[in-house]
Amino acid sequence: MRLGKLACVVLACVVIAPGCKPKNKRYNLRGQVMAKNAAANEITVKHDDIPGFMAAMTMPYRVKDPGVVQELEPGDIIAAEVVTANDGNDYWLEDVRITDESGRKTAKAPVTPRPLQPGERVLDLPLVNQDGKTIRLDDFRGKAVLLTFIYTRCPMPAFCPRLSSQFAKIHADLAKTPDAYGKTHLLTISFDPKYDTAPVLRRYGLAYLDNDPSGFAHWEFASASPGDLRKLADAFGLVYFEQDNQISHSLDIVLISSKGTIVKYWSNDWTTAELENALRQQAAQSTPATQALGAGRSR
Amino acid sequence: MIRHARCAREWPWLIAVLLLLAGWQTSCGRSRAEQRGRELFELHCAACHEASNLDLKKQPPKLEGLFQSKRLPSGAPATDEQVRKTIVQGIGTMPAFDQRLSDEDVDGLVRYLHQLK
Repeated sequence: MRLGKLACVVLACVVIAPGCKPKNKRYNLRGQVMAKNAAANEITVKHDDIPGFMAAMTMPYRVKDPGVVQELEPGDIIAAEVVTANDGNDYWLEDVRITDESGRKTAKAPVTPRPLQPGERVLDLPLVNQDGKTIRLDDFRGKAVLLTFIYTRCPMPAFCPRLSSQFAKIHADLAKTPDAYGKTHLLTISFDPKYDTAPVLRRYGLAYLDNDPSGFAHWEFASASPGDLRKLADAFGLVYFEQDNQISHSLDIVLISSKGTIVKYWSNDWTTAELENALRQQAAQSTPATQALGAGRSR
Repeated sequence: MIRHARCAREWPWLIAVLLLLAGWQTSCGRSRAEQRGRELFELHCAACHEASNLDLKKQPPKLEGLFQSKRLPSGAPATDEQVRKTIVQGIGTMPAFDQRLSDEDVDGLVRYLHQLK
């Protein structure tokens, strides 16, 4: 009889469980604060291995409790809980505790230069695309450009793979409306020029373009020299640094007008639909390359 | 003679104890390797391959029973060499783990993937 009851309970659990909302997962984190961004309620942490979640690395985390970021300083050793939700698509820190603050006296926070403001012209620096061809941001005059940064070896599904997947969706949607397709361009620039050579970027791009190389005419993948990459990142307010073959970076997307000026930035918080709508709106207002002030080479 | 006879009686016991010790050591070594393989999997693979609703162009395949079928999800033969190559070089939208995992780590992962059923 007892066995019968137990079997019923087990059966009920099996039947009910698939319909239940998955619970958030929690992992213990130990690490050192490398940088903080109080406005975005975010800290960059160099942390140890987090079994079940990720290997040791340096990366930005949103902090759930407001006010905590103000109390933290670069150099602080912290313990916290990483909470993941939505099957790992969302994550943040909770219960952040400073375990040692002696390092804050000697720590140097990375200096974030003032990014270009909306209306200001983007830098026209040379890039090398997936075909080994030199391109420049001025080449895209006459088109609205959505630009982001990734590196192909990024192992974090919520970071570069997600960004590229969102760009792939936007690219595929725009391909359905030839007018918008012709007035827009997507550009993905690598943080890792040493590894992400043209053939590596081509292979990476094809995976997101359903192996159709004609898509490169609308979405290019490029790298810059390390010096120019730093200049570009500084101009767009990106933070990135390399450590132990991992690149820690902020997530940023930039919308550039057909005149080559900054329209808008997105950092950490956006939806694919929001990006696509903004790009389409900008394309509708675009000035053809021949009329754009100081227009670059037409493509 | 009596002493020799006692030794002869004790030999089988001694051999049995030695065999047991050898077996215990091998099993300890195996479990350490298994543990390491599991840790590596959780650190480097689980975030994608154990999730089912990622905001990605293509959902990464589950890896249980990887070596039970003749072909990998990519269609390539399910061999150690092919899996090792996939981990190091990446494939499709899966990133390369080149220069981030040692040869020993990759071997440990392949061994662990054999046990995932």
